[in-house]
Amino acid sequence: MRRIAATLLPLLLTGSLACKKAEPPPPPPVTVPPTTAPAPVSVSTVTLGSAIGADKKVVAASEAFGVKDTIYASVETAGTGHARLRALWSFVKGEKTAKVDETTVEFDSSGPAANEFHISKPSGWPKGDYKVEVFLGEGGAAAATKAFKVN
Amino acid sequence: MANEQDKKNEDDMPDFSDVQSGASSTAPAAEVYETYVVKPGDSLSKIAKHAYGDANAWKRIFDANTDILKDPNKIFPGQKLKIPQKN
Repeated sequence: MRRIAATLLPLLLTGSLACKKAEPPPPPPVTVPPTTAPAPVSVSTVTLGSAIGADKKVVAASEAFGVKDTIYASVETAGTGHARLRALWSFVKGEKTAKVDETTVEFDSSGPAANEFHISKPSGWPKGDYKVEVFLGEGGAAAATKAFKVN
Repeated sequence: MANEQDKKNEDDMPDFSDVQSGASSTAPAAEVYETYVVKPGDSLSKIAKHAYGDANAWKRIFDANTDILKDPNKIFPGQKLKIPQKN
């Protein structure tokens, strides 16, 4: 009897182990992709010209203008969020600059946008060197600067 | 005789007081304005007269600056006001 038990016991144990349902493998850990914050508004390009299209973009880029021209600066932006875009136009004479005009466009951007700034002078532009600086937000360095001439 | 183009101010720099400007954006509901720093003696009607040629347009300036102006008769030198673009 004992022999039978001794013989059968290992078989019974093995059987119980063999009959035991294999544990299903644990599910792979769920990897949550890192969330990336949307890119803030930034200035992509600044182009000067004497005419713009309905898309607010300069028709033909130029950096030289006539005394009676209306001068346009097309500023393309990318990114999302609240944006305050400021164009500061200046006359440059050696080390000195004289402010010509400063205009701000403030908007909520949900993607690429085209913005235009323009200046005109009924009495005619003084000939010489000018520049337009484009600022994004309050203060700080200009996001872009473009020099141009009036001939 | 001095040319209009050559009219200069005291700093020997040209005069740009008659410059006209504007701006626009493809972004919806964009706000376009110039920033004006209040000087001693200024009033909203005086500023409106200069900006729009119409002193009665002072309310447009007041409405654009209700975050810093509580009383249209009380503006102070140094205050930076938004002057909405002339339509």
